[in-house]
Amino acid sequence: MKFRLLFGILLLAHALLLPHLSERLKQRSVEVKLGYIPHPQILKVSVADHSLPVAEAAVMKVLFYFGTLVEKFQENIVIRPEYLNMYRTLETAILLDPYNMDGYYFAQAAFTWEVGRVKEVNRLLEIGVENRQWDYWLPFYIGFNRAYFLKDFAGAAPYMKLAAERSGDPLFAKLAARYFYESKQTDLGLLFLDTIIAQTKDKAIKATYEMRRAALLMVTALEKGVAAYRSARGSNPERIEDLVTEGLIPEVPVDPYGGNFYLDSDGRVRTTSKLAEQPK
Amino acid sequence: MPLPAVLLSAKRMSAHQFVALTLANLRMIIRDRVLHGVLGVAGVMLVLVPAFSSFSMRQSQEVAISLSLSAISLVLMVLTLLLGTSSIWRDIERRYTASIMTLPVSRVIYLLGKFAAMALFLLICAVILTAAGSLVVLLAATQYPSDLPISWGTIALAVLADLVKYLLLGGIAILLSTVSTSFFLPFFGTLAIYLAGSASQEVFEYVSGQFGQEIPALSLAAIKGTYYLLPNFAAFNFKVHAVYALQVQPGSVVFACIYAATYTGLLLILAAWSFNRRAL
Repeated sequence: MKFRLLFGILLLAHALLLPHLSERLKQRSVEVKLGYIPHPQILKVSVADHSLPVAEAAVMKVLFYFGTLVEKFQENIVIRPEYLNMYRTLETAILLDPYNMDGYYFAQAAFTWEVGRVKEVNRLLEIGVENRQWDYWLPFYIGFNRAYFLKDFAGAAPYMKLAAERSGDPLFAKLAARYFYESKQTDLGLLFLDTIIAQTKDKAIKATYEMRRAALLMVTALEKGVAAYRSARGSNPERIEDLVTEGLIPEVPVDPYGGNFYLDSDGRVRTTSKLAEQPK
Repeated sequence: MPLPAVLLSAKRMSAHQFVALTLANLRMIIRDRVLHGVLGVAGVMLVLVPAFSSFSMRQSQEVAISLSLSAISLVLMVLTLLLGTSSIWRDIERRYTASIMTLPVSRVIYLLGKFAAMALFLLICAVILTAAGSLVVLLAATQYPSDLPISWGTIALAVLADLVKYLLLGGIAILLSTVSTSFFLPFFGTLAIYLAGSASQEVFEYVSGQFGQEIPALSLAAIKGTYYLLPNFAAFNFKVHAVYALQVQPGSVVFACIYAATYTGLLLILAAWSFNRRAL
């Protein structure tokens, strides 16, 4: 009887404790959640034949960490991401499993637009292009990164061509041609984002892409307004509000990143946020 | 030249004894509740695979295959360790061997019967787990369409290669069991050899590269000698091929099979020699 009573008390205490324990663990600092991952060489020799699940677990760790940051941002809490640790974890995952598409996909999503580490991302993507020889997304990513971020159109075109050859999709061939001849950077960015949003299922990643797309649409509308002003007046507008005064745009759009649009001395559309997330 | 009738009769009797001992040992293994528990855990692991693979952004199907293969491999490893390391020494301790030896059964037949029963049990488990894993992979593959086909043949090959690998490991466990009087040497010895044999190829490639030039010649020779002496379990790893539907070179399979046959044969001969010399 005593043992039953004791068992019942312990079970009740345990049940009462669980929600509090779970809440406390949820409140852990974000840094603790990302943690540390050993060097890929050490991991390779210590995980026996389980390197593929270990690589996937490393990618998941980064994804959950990033998801937490996005959640916090939506609650007006801005935490500077541990980009270096995130990158190292992804790099480790890719060295453990050079076929892991999640690793490449996340590196492309998180380290180009937000951080600008395009060359490092391209180095990782090169590993993927070499191993995933059927995959057309990876040469597409490299081609896009070279053209859009590095303005290296000549370097981008061969990768777009490779993407077109692997996929047979005329879109990539069209992009390859456009990289040689076009110079409208914002249009290229929109085209890329439309393509990528259509095949994104992760909500956190999709939300960041959609915010970027909304901002680029605003920039495109403002650039068209500036071009119309220039052709009508023969000079650039002094302030962005002049476009509203002239009736070229109904109102100055609100930057979804929390900044304010303005025109620089060359008449180029800029924003104080530099299209990076700001505290609300 | 035809064998004399006495020899033929002796051969038939040995074969009969071998089959009878194998089936008797298999029945004992099947009745073991610890092994039921291990298989139960395997079932739970496989049931959880679709939930885990749904976290993947771009390769749910690939993650499901890799998790299923890893779960099967892990369970086969645990079963091999439990069966192989508790075979000979425990039978001697329980006086089971002494009672069997009163029958006209040679020690070699007795030992081979133990090994064959273990091999049959592992084969049955591998077939059941592969069938369950295949259902799980089919379910997970519907969550997000993959660019890659599911290569059922390569998945079956990966499991078969794992089975052969664990038979080799079982040979090591039985050899250590024949010289041991307790659980510790066979269990930890086999586990250590498994971990070292899984890592040896990585270490060998590492020291064969630039890093090896900085190592003293004697140490390098010791490392290479250990590499050739230890079982090389990397030869049986076709998981990457199975997960990403890559083509397997037939030569790799042939080499792995011959390697396993010669190594396991040598281990069983050594185990029989050791067991023959052991006082019961």
